[in-house]
Amino acid sequence: MFPTSTRFLVVDDFATMRKIIKKTLIELGYTNIEEADDGATALPLVQKAHAEGKPFGFVISDWNMPKMQGIDFLKACRADEKFKLLPFMLVTAESEQKQILEAAKAGVSDYVVKPFNSATLRGKLEKVYAKVSQNPVAKAS
Amino acid sequence: MSAAPKIDNPLFDKRLLNAFAEGVTKTLQMMANTQVTFGKPTIENNYVLRGQVAGIVGMTAPPLRGQLTLSFPKDAILLIIENMLGEKNTEITQEVCDAVGELTNMIYGTAKTSLNQLGYNFEMALPTVIHGEFTTDFKGITLVMPVKLNATTEFFVGISVS
Repeated sequence: MFPTSTRFLVVDDFATMRKIIKKTLIELGYTNIEEADDGATALPLVQKAHAEGKPFGFVISDWNMPKMQGIDFLKACRADEKFKLLPFMLVTAESEQKQILEAAKAGVSDYVVKPFNSATLRGKLEKVYAKVSQNPVAKAS
Repeated sequence: MSAAPKIDNPLFDKRLLNAFAEGVTKTLQMMANTQVTFGKPTIENNYVLRGQVAGIVGMTAPPLRGQLTLSFPKDAILLIIENMLGEKNTEITQEVCDAVGELTNMIYGTAKTSLNQLGYNFEMALPTVIHGEFTTDFKGITLVMPVKLNATTEFFVGISVS
């Protein structure tokens, strides 16, 4: 599993969902967690954290948000060489095939459909870690 | 995907109602570990929202236009939030309104997925939350489903179509 020092960024326009995700992460031992309320706020945070030498190790983002949607935030990250391999999970009420395909095409690491419970989120984190572990380049970044 | 259902009024399509009931059941069970039961649904021509806070989301599936409303008396929403976040609130605060918005989002998202698999073509939309003096300017008929959290606490799901 990701080390407990991993820096997480949780992005959702609803504070309630940020609280739920944060609560689960804390239960799993993660305390280095920052929040943003949409992609437009989150993207500069990702860039700034990298520039300061304290990059985020995992992004968990909602899809359906005002200003910049989660899928556009993901695409913006993947368009930047520095964040091509950044573990990025979309958490969303969108669970139709076309959305899942769009997210996969954009390079999402995994996808959690709302509603979910903490066991589901934990399972997805483990799955992403297993993927990252198989990719030494991603692991090192 | 099958062709869009040809039903004059979707409120009489049992599958539509089941999709929303499933959305409510699944969301509250997964996110708040809360089991619900449903009271007898009624049809209202001039729907008046009940309670102190409501989440509203426009439902667009051309040519169908509708609205989903979740309206909560104070005791119902405070109980759900306590079960969901472990937070005890005594008033309808900004945090409570935020939770209503997220619940509306999840319930609509779950129902929308089921409905689109049946041939509807609902689009995702951002919910809004109102509290205090309730009004809704939606013109149309509304199916109202009471959702019981326990013997004395309930909230209401309204599905309106124009």
